[in-house]
Amino acid sequence: MGRLTKSHIIETVVWGLIVIIFFGFSFEFNREIEIYKFGATGWPRTILVLLGLVTLGNLFHLYRNGSIGDAGRVGQLETDEEMTYNSLRDYSKLLAILIGPLIYAILLKPVGFYFLTPFFISYIIVIFGERRLKFILGVTLLLYLILLLLFVVVLNAPLPQGNMSPFYDYSAFLLKLNTQLKQLSIW
Amino acid sequence: MIEHFLAGSATLFGDPFTIGVFVFGVLGGMLFGAMPGVSMLTLCAILLPFTAQLTASQGVMLFAVIYCTGTYGGAITAILFNIPGAPENAPTAFDGYPMTQQGKAGKAVGAAVLCSAIGGVASAIVMMAATEPLAKWAIRNIGPPEIFALVFFGLAVASSVGGKTMWKGWMSVLLGLLIATIGQDPVGGINRYNFGFADLAAGIAFVPSILGFFAVSEIFIQAEKKAMGKFTAPKVGLSFPTFVEIWFHKIAVIRSILVGFFCGILPGIGATLAAFMGYGEAVRWSKDKTSFGKGNIEGVISSETANNAATGAAMIPLLALGLPGGALTAMMVAVFQMHDLEPGPLVFYNSPDLIWVVFAAMFYANLCILFIGLLETKTILHLLKIPFQFLAPLILLLASIGSYIGRGLVLDVMVMFGAGIIGFLLRRSGYSIPGIVLGIILGKIGEQNFAQGMQMVHYDLLTYLSRPVCLILIIAGSLTLFSGIYKAISTSLNSKA
Repeated sequence: MGRLTKSHIIETVVWGLIVIIFFGFSFEFNREIEIYKFGATGWPRTILVLLGLVTLGNLFHLYRNGSIGDAGRVGQLETDEEMTYNSLRDYSKLLAILIGPLIYAILLKPVGFYFLTPFFISYIIVIFGERRLKFILGVTLLLYLILLLLFVVVLNAPLPQGNMSPFYDYSAFLLKLNTQLKQLSIW
Repeated sequence: MIEHFLAGSATLFGDPFTIGVFVFGVLGGMLFGAMPGVSMLTLCAILLPFTAQLTASQGVMLFAVIYCTGTYGGAITAILFNIPGAPENAPTAFDGYPMTQQGKAGKAVGAAVLCSAIGGVASAIVMMAATEPLAKWAIRNIGPPEIFALVFFGLAVASSVGGKTMWKGWMSVLLGLLIATIGQDPVGGINRYNFGFADLAAGIAFVPSILGFFAVSEIFIQAEKKAMGKFTAPKVGLSFPTFVEIWFHKIAVIRSILVGFFCGILPGIGATLAAFMGYGEAVRWSKDKTSFGKGNIEGVISSETANNAATGAAMIPLLALGLPGGALTAMMVAVFQMHDLEPGPLVFYNSPDLIWVVFAAMFYANLCILFIGLLETKTILHLLKIPFQFLAPLILLLASIGSYIGRGLVLDVMVMFGAGIIGFLLRRSGYSIPGIVLGIILGKIGEQNFAQGMQMVHYDLLTYLSRPVCLILIIAGSLTLFSGIYKAISTSLNSKA
């Protein structure tokens, strides 16, 4: 097994699966293009073959050297070292960090930016370890107002309004307020 | 040239409203470039509809000015937070962020200000003096084979920086190229890898994936460190680089100006490749290669000079050939079209006033980087004093808005957070995020130009390589690639299993 660890094998299997799955799906668009000899699959399949070869090269490197990097490589921060997770609590923290924002993105369409954002701000502040309630609420309000001021009042940027009541109504109320404020400032 | 420049300056500063547009562009570009999460592209996407209310010269000038100052602004977030404001600032983070961790943020930002201004001013001067002859040279000598060869060279350079090993560098670049194949193929328009999602027919949008890989993954890494009790706040260092320190790297500055300008001329390549190649060349010619990536100021100098040197040059294909060199110059084409103008050779004869107002504005915008940049640096460095738990939600929300605004799709926000998760996992395993991003950016361009080049030479590789510029670039790329492979294999063989 050389210096291979379980995580190295998982890493290689994941890359191998990417190559196999993408190669398999390439048959879906394996059609000839009259003006181009290599067709629609030529370029992606070349990439996949190269990726497969480089993955084998990487496996060989891991087998001989383990996780040790090449000497003199540029751009790898020493602070990007692997963290060690000792308990279920550590894993749940990591999961909360990674999944929370994705849930925010999924909820944006039905709930909308205007209603959802204050909750998201508070969530991120808490995830980052802040526990003082007045700071959580104060900063949430401040950031929410800054974003509304910049993107809604100043730039009129179109943001997701949601498509479910009462969230949509809340967005509509804020936008109506913004229009009225602008009309007032014109007068 | 001087009379034209003075006439352009007079038009620019002769009308208070035009001055206002110029100042808005300078400050807006700097602000949006320096705000982690959004970029100059976000600002331009928001402003595009409003340019219909401006004259053609004001509209194009506004975008050109934002391009100059926004390219510089993105360096600040790269240096302070390891979040490049735009892909062209990614190599700046390689050395800029380690400098911040060492308490030398002031020196890094100061070097970025100075070198962005030097690169930008030099580029603007060459652009004014040589747009027409350069355009003629480019028409004769640069075609799809040369562009593909430069993409190949750029990818070879990108694979040699960023990853923990050469293999991981290449895997990152190839992953980026693979992601770029999602959507329609550039020759026949056949849908590839849309997995049943209609929205994927247009491909993975460029801005959300970049924001995800750079900004969101960095926030996740900092959040993880906080959660595990390993977070250390960066030190605030206010000392600026001395003139002697910059003078010591004058060769790197000159080399980066040349690299940046050459990359900028080529349509579709732009400032991103310029920054990577400027950085790569700095490493290649340095006597102390091992210091790069650990806080060598020459890394910041090289990439920032090169990317700003590309801004002026990027106007050449746009104005002389009508070919946009990137997302922002593509929006400038839209501004031209809104005013019933077509960028291309005729614009020099039909609208010389417009051209020289734009040239003059870009020159002054680069000078503004120097003066306003130095003034604002100390203020910006105080951003580091804001506790990260309060800065993180702002960055994530700015990034979400930046992703959404481009196409008005919530899917893009999901793509951004998805890319953030993938980026987080890949960074943990030593892969190169800038390599992935460069692969995404250059993938379509590379494929399109390879296909066109092959059709041009009737699939005869010898004819392909008989073009001198193409041959030089292919040789340079191959040398970079094979020296990397040789080093990687010899490292593996010399170590005991």
